Amino acid sequence: MPATAPPGTGQLTREQLLEGYRVMRTIREFEERLHVEFATGEIPGFVHLYAGEEAIAAGVCAHLGADDYVASTHRGHGHAIAKGCDVKAMMAEIYGKQTGLCHGKGGSMHIADLDKGMLGANGIVGGGPPLACGVGLTARVKNTDQVAVSFTGDGGSNQGTFLESLNLASAWHLPCVFVVENNGYAESTPPAYHQSGVDVAKRADGFGFPGVVVDGFDFFAVHEAAGEAIARARAGGGPSLLECKTLRYYGHFEGDQQTYRGAGEVEEVRRTRDCLATFVQRVTNAGILDAEDLERVDQDVRGLIDEAVTEAKAGPDPTPAEVETDVYVTY
Amino acid sequence: MTTVGIVANPAAGRDIRRLVAGASVSGHAEKAGMVFRVLAGLGAAGVTRALMMPAPGGLSATLHRQLRAHAAGQGHEAAPAALEELPMRLDGTAADSIRAVEAMRRAGAAAIVVLGGDGTHRVVAKACADVPVCALSTGTNNVFPELREATVAGLATGLVATGRGGPGALRRDAALRVEVDCAEPDLALVDVAASREPFIGARALWRPGGISDLLVTFANPAAVGLSAVAGMVSPLERGGGRGLHVRLAEAPEAAAITVQVPLAPGLVVPVGVAAWRALATGEQVDLPAAGGSLALDGEREIERRPGARATVRLVAGPLTIDVDAVMRHAATKGLTRLPPRV
Repeated sequence: MPATAPPGTGQLTREQLLEGYRVMRTIREFEERLHVEFATGEIPGFVHLYAGEEAIAAGVCAHLGADDYVASTHRGHGHAIAKGCDVKAMMAEIYGKQTGLCHGKGGSMHIADLDKGMLGANGIVGGGPPLACGVGLTARVKNTDQVAVSFTGDGGSNQGTFLESLNLASAWHLPCVFVVENNGYAESTPPAYHQSGVDVAKRADGFGFPGVVVDGFDFFAVHEAAGEAIARARAGGGPSLLECKTLRYYGHFEGDQQTYRGAGEVEEVRRTRDCLATFVQRVTNAGILDAEDLERVDQDVRGLIDEAVTEAKAGPDPTPAEVETDVYVTY
Repeated sequence: MTTVGIVANPAAGRDIRRLVAGASVSGHAEKAGMVFRVLAGLGAAGVTRALMMPAPGGLSATLHRQLRAHAAGQGHEAAPAALEELPMRLDGTAADSIRAVEAMRRAGAAAIVVLGGDGTHRVVAKACADVPVCALSTGTNNVFPELREATVAGLATGLVATGRGGPGALRRDAALRVEVDCAEPDLALVDVAASREPFIGARALWRPGGISDLLVTFANPAAVGLSAVAGMVSPLERGGGRGLHVRLAEAPEAAAITVQVPLAPGLVVPVGVAAWRALATGEQVDLPAAGGSLALDGEREIERRPGARATVRLVAGPLTIDVDAVMRHAATKGLTRLPPRV
């Protein structure tokens, strides 16, 4: 098997595969570690973990540059990592430290880094799509080739903000991609109880742009479909909707008792569909990456997350004198 | 009591071809409308019971609203066949359709109406044995099922199910049996494509690049999709007992001919063909062992490790209802005439 893909197939290079794996592994390690650390009571506020959904953030953001935008959700760590935010500063932010990405003022649900095009995790369900329309409009008015991606959950896709954004993006021909991470539960409610129809993607039909469904556990499927949606937006083809079917491995928030889940639901998915396990199996089967390549990434990531937690814990708290800094903006 | 099965795939019509080409969309309301129209046709032909795979939320709600509205209607039209949903758990995968078809066979279904694309029909064909299938397309993207009015399809299926289909009612279609290493054999109804792409990505195949071999059960130049490549070089009738093996050119210089082919609705691309030859029923083709992926009926399904043995054999496929032939027979024999008024 040649290490490079045959021309005209849109297949990934070895370097792209390694980078996709590194992003997914970093998110997984970051979230699994937070799951452990949150239980100690040392982390202020709520955390909503992205573990299980890594292929989506990694597959989508692989096509975005630093000047493209993402608008995230309350479950935003994965999007921030995939968009290139500093992992140590993210961890410090979640610990509420002065060294954090937002100097400890944002915490898990408001991590943002405008320099990286990360418009922020968002405590408001359905809060991201209108932001994507806003930056999308900026890109269109300024005639740049920037693209705006919003992430929304299945619950968020029922919000008026989501549907209003689909309408605006279509009416204004905005370079927006609406990614719906359908992880099976709006907090604790399965879609059958709150959505008419099985696919959120069908909602795009009503606004006159394409909506497609992919397996959100499959990095390759997300990567290919997102690549086409983003290229379409960049070329002036307007908005599209990408629904990724997935499952989160932990509760809605850390501490959620998850009494709404079926028995063995997460274990079964972890065993048969996990995005990292299937990725490893497929790239090694194809003979493009070997176990050593992947182990090197694992080691680097483990070291990075260890350092991030140690440094976050040791970092200084914001001082009372800073209570108003970075909070108000004057135009 | 005559029973007919109905499989309506709720997930059909949402793949990447909506994004990269101009493929049509088929929403729940349209699928529910199609099922309603099938029921009307079946009922008029004397079918009393229709067994359906349970439909999720939106499709089911729309269908039942239509049936209730009909029940409150004028009453001069024939009553639709009574709808019964199979008592089965759905897990949202192709396995649902397999289990549904097996349950329909156990319940004595005399025919099965399938609403979906090539992929849905492929899954049904794995489980339906010799129960006749009425193949209905829910979009413009398909080769095996026909795009036709569901009421008439229901009528024709009802005539077949009640033993009045006539001599030309059923066609024995072909299939391609695919074996890779020791894995469970798989089936394709239209085409198998061997690609050098190692990963199956977003499944639906819409790029010709990297495809080395194409095997088809029939070759219709008026089709959309990969089988149209075969159709453009050597048209081959459906159900004729012969297939075609086409080798695509690795580079433009290696092409014996280059044909323009609609690979998806709204997407016409040049495809270089190196060679082609006929394929007899029972004949086996060994695919190059270079690794890569296999697409069955336009969906990338199987990733092959380098060196994996992969064979394709042309075999007998499902029995398919020829709606035109059945309706011609019915008209000729007066089967659709009501008794004269007295």
